[in-house]
Amino acid sequence: MAILNITYNGLSADYPIELDGLVADADIKRIAHELVRSGDVPGLNLPHLPAQAFDGFVVDRLQGGHRLYLRPKVPFGA
Amino acid sequence: MRIVFLGVGALGSTTAVLCRALDATLAFVDFDKVESKNLLAQAFVKQSLGKNKAEALKAQLLNFHGVKAEAFGVRLTKENVEQLVKDAGLIVDCFDNAESRRVTSEHARVKNLPLVHAAISGDGSFGLVRWDERFTPDAEDHAGQATCEGGEHLPMIGLLSATLARTIQDFVTKQERRDSMIGLKSVTVTS
Repeated sequence: MAILNITYNGLSADYPIELDGLVADADIKRIAHELVRSGDVPGLNLPHLPAQAFDGFVVDRLQGGHRLYLRPKVPFGA
Repeated sequence: MRIVFLGVGALGSTTAVLCRALDATLAFVDFDKVESKNLLAQAFVKQSLGKNKAEALKAQLLNFHGVKAEAFGVRLTKENVEQLVKDAGLIVDCFDNAESRRVTSEHARVKNLPLVHAAISGDGSFGLVRWDERFTPDAEDHAGQATCEGGEHLPMIGLLSATLARTIQDFVTKQERRDSMIGLKSVTVTS
């Protein structure tokens, strides 16, 4: 069991998820898109989420892959 | 402890001001100059216009808060990184580009120097504070991508900078290393 955290439009939520082995970033984005659109992620219920919503997003894999973070790019500091 | 801030634009300058009470020597590295547009989102005041950002921040801390600091008005490169972060007890990366972040990470890893990164999305909706062992720099979508120069994202810059300043304080006082995610509704500790 892994925890997928999804951040979109400044909001962030966790969703427990079963994944078989290493799942590609593109598949994580596709799964997240379905979850958010279907209303399965508490606090992130966006039935009209655009299909390209997670294009350009980044998937971080921490804690040995048990914590996945789908988030916007953060290129800036200054 | 000597704390070296790399990049003192929006996040770096705001965080440095919040670190002024620490029992540490603050050092600032930035080649850029203060422009009028920076006054909306960065900790600089009108009297600093046209000055180098590192020098201006040093002067403001001394004049407004009585805090001494060091300033290096240069661009960080592979050639000078060792000299700039020499004797650092902590490096704070607030750069605005992936290449400078990579140069800093590579050096810190070779020299085993503590390095914490702060980064914000272009739309100002999300930010990260993350220690180097778990950080990978994100590239801009395109060169010259719009950043946080206007005042629109100032509250998020403040929230992210306060989180970074607390992270720095916890490292200085307790050697703790915490990561955080900062959104529009919450600050979440992730490690």
